[in-house]
Amino acid sequence: MRQTSGTKAEEREFFQRFGLQFRVQHTLLFLSTITLIITGVPLWCLGRPEYGWSQAVVSTFGSIDVIRYIHRAGAAVLILVSIYHLYYTMFTKEGRREFIELLPRQKDVIDVTINSLYFLGLVKYRPGFGRYTYYEKFDYWAVYWGCVIMIGTGLVLWFPGVAARYVPWFTYELAAEVHADEAILAALALFIWHFYNVHFNPSRFPGTLLWWHGKISREEMMHDHVLEYYKKALAQTKSKGQKTEPQNGTTV
Amino acid sequence: MIATGVLLWLAPLEKKLLFLTRLMGLIFLTGLVSTLYGAADTTEKLLGDESDGSRAIPNHLIELLIADPIDENKVVKITPDDKPLLPFSTRQTCGACHNYKTICSGWHFNAPDPNILPGRPAQPWILVDTATATQIPLSHRPWPGTSRPEQLGLTPRKFLELFGRHTPGSGVGEQESTNSDEITREFISGKLEANCLSCHDADPAHNQAEYAIQAARENFRWAAAATCGFASVSGAAKYMPDDYDPFMPMPLEHPKLVPPTISYRVNTFDEKKRVFFNIVREVPAERCYFCHSNMYLVKKETEKWESDQDVHLAAGLTCVDCHRNGIDHNITRGYEGEETISANPLAATSSCQGCHLGEKSSSSTPVAGRLGAPVPKHPGIPPVHFDKLSCTACHSGPWPAQKTTLVKTSRAHRLGTLNVNKSPDAMPHIVSPVFAKQPNGKIAPHKLIWPAFWGVLKDQNVTPIDIEVVRQTAGEIFAKEKLTVSGGWLSLGAEHITEALKKLSSEKSVDGKPVYVAGGGLYYLDETGKLCQQDNHPAAKPYLWPIAHDVRPAAQALGVRRCEDCHSPEAPFFFGKVWVDSPVQGKDGVFREMMDMYEIGGPVYVRVNWFFKLLIIGVMTLLILHILGDLYRRGLLWLGKRFKRS
Repeated sequence: MRQTSGTKAEEREFFQRFGLQFRVQHTLLFLSTITLIITGVPLWCLGRPEYGWSQAVVSTFGSIDVIRYIHRAGAAVLILVSIYHLYYTMFTKEGRREFIELLPRQKDVIDVTINSLYFLGLVKYRPGFGRYTYYEKFDYWAVYWGCVIMIGTGLVLWFPGVAARYVPWFTYELAAEVHADEAILAALALFIWHFYNVHFNPSRFPGTLLWWHGKISREEMMHDHVLEYYKKALAQTKSKGQKTEPQNGTTV
Repeated sequence: MIATGVLLWLAPLEKKLLFLTRLMGLIFLTGLVSTLYGAADTTEKLLGDESDGSRAIPNHLIELLIADPIDENKVVKITPDDKPLLPFSTRQTCGACHNYKTICSGWHFNAPDPNILPGRPAQPWILVDTATATQIPLSHRPWPGTSRPEQLGLTPRKFLELFGRHTPGSGVGEQESTNSDEITREFISGKLEANCLSCHDADPAHNQAEYAIQAARENFRWAAAATCGFASVSGAAKYMPDDYDPFMPMPLEHPKLVPPTISYRVNTFDEKKRVFFNIVREVPAERCYFCHSNMYLVKKETEKWESDQDVHLAAGLTCVDCHRNGIDHNITRGYEGEETISANPLAATSSCQGCHLGEKSSSSTPVAGRLGAPVPKHPGIPPVHFDKLSCTACHSGPWPAQKTTLVKTSRAHRLGTLNVNKSPDAMPHIVSPVFAKQPNGKIAPHKLIWPAFWGVLKDQNVTPIDIEVVRQTAGEIFAKEKLTVSGGWLSLGAEHITEALKKLSSEKSVDGKPVYVAGGGLYYLDETGKLCQQDNHPAAKPYLWPIAHDVRPAAQALGVRRCEDCHSPEAPFFFGKVWVDSPVQGKDGVFREMMDMYEIGGPVYVRVNWFFKLLIIGVMTLLILHILGDLYRRGLLWLGKRFKRS
């Protein structure tokens, strides 16, 4: 779907990149994740006396129990979103389509190679990307397996008695270690990598509301998803016969 | 047996068989009588051995008695007018109403008895000789990791001189000597009889420190009496000539020598020549403390008024509420599993679990909650903890810190006696709390000592060398080094050890390869005379014994705040640093991780932590490089556009 926006002097075209279901899932995901990070860091730091400031954070929340309850509430939301996402990818047409688009392909390996050469100045042009770039796919699968690890280890920490009975080899301390380490990796990747790619890179700084309205401009489409753009154009050309650009947008 | 004997005697048989049958009957009856007579020593119930049901404390206004020096079976009464005035004998005075032999079969007295099962390893005696850089755990009980006193050249007499101070007498104190010199000296100093007053004297004037003084002076016969408030002892049997007779003392040639002499305070004896003893059946905790005190050398809370107390004592219990015994004095030690080797029927119900859970009781009546013991619920704690940990792991000893601390104990550091070395460096060096596996596989907090001694390696076994032999052979090497004022280690260099080992190898009495054990290492000379070190020899392993007290309240147990009290990479439970104590230069101040003491390779999650560290560094480096590459190209494009415009 293409939409246009702006004044006569500066008319911008927008495409609907993400549907409502996708955006709701993403919103719940990032709200729960940020809650988990904010409450998880002081929980982690409490066992480390050198981080005295974590006590101040605990005091702000009231008590360690309050932090723990909020953390578990965030975890519950994350678990529900994850379960719903499984349903979404398996039982909705949109979900299946998006999932297939997110599967790693040979082209992604080629894209990584060419883009690396491009960064090094060894090739003149960056590769053209489809609906999802390789780094977006990386984001998706990092979150996917991150959720599996975090939820799995989190449940062991939440219900240690049950875990000790049914998976005695998966000790509490092993779960705590993996949970904390994976959380650190996820938080670093989120705030540095993901935020740069979607908000802080020069073409989008200081940020984008794509996650809210799901729309992407033609320029961004051409820059980041040129193959998707031409794929849509081709599809429209086939359906309407004449035009070389996708024409399914409406003026906003 | 009686019936058999009588039947055989009366059996209506032919004459041919009659004599033989009656002879057998006679043998049976004789055997029965002799058995009963032999058993009478330990089974005979005397006046004070059976309760009449009254819970009141019996009055002990009694005569002071001593065995006749000429006829040991005859008992002599002591009166204030006797010349010479003699100390009373507990064997006779207390033994008049209480079965002395039965009492002396109890745990506090039976260490030298090879028929007694040793049970869980406990605190050893520790022989310290700063001049030869020696600290070695000793025990008459066969606890693995301890040496027998005689291996270090300690005769019973020398043992008592060193350690009699913190024994309740009997045991080694009444062992028969086979050495003629020792027999002569024994006549002068007497035997160290069981000192009933050490535990049961509630008189505030009782002075157990006097016992230590008398033991050091070899005044064994006078030691018990010296602790009483109504008696005082002077002189020293140790310096008496071999022909000195304490029962018919003659003036000594040397004017400065003072023979052991006792005097009783005026009015000690009543008109019937009896003396009042303030005896209690239930031993006050204060009496136990003389031998069972600990002082943790942390910067804080070393002063009594700053430290807390065992939660049981604070709740109004005393030591003997849990450590219980009957007239046999077979006191319960209170550890889990004691009932499997102890004859004390209360052993099963006197442990932590016995009182608080009552699981092992075969009684038809409830046992848990005795004396108000709360039955713990342990909400939220996975049951695996109760399989892997002893109760004490979470509830006993000081809260674990990142590093172990030095601890002084009554028996190891002569606490409570005169002129104690109060320096924190004073040897022996005991560190605590160390979490380690017990023989039953459960992890418990322990005290630990690193043995340091000169020994002989033979067939991969190390036997300690008599301390006197070491002194005489290699003493001059160590004498070059200045001893520390604080009583800490003598600093040994490789050259000292090499030289000492060479000298010991030329000593005739040393049968085997001389070695030095210290700080977990075994030092020996190879064929070329070069000093080598082996780190994994069993003889160099530290000796550990579990600690049970002070018990902290549930609100201060490990894990009460959160699982990470133990389950975190910084938790002392796994990653505390255990001080490796050694006099060898460059080896002191080394630490080992607590989990080494569990004798496991280390938790899996430590390796997981390393994996994630590398993963985080690797992934984030790649991602940041990607960002930098993107910024670089965007920057170039932006500059290119600006250049074109201009």
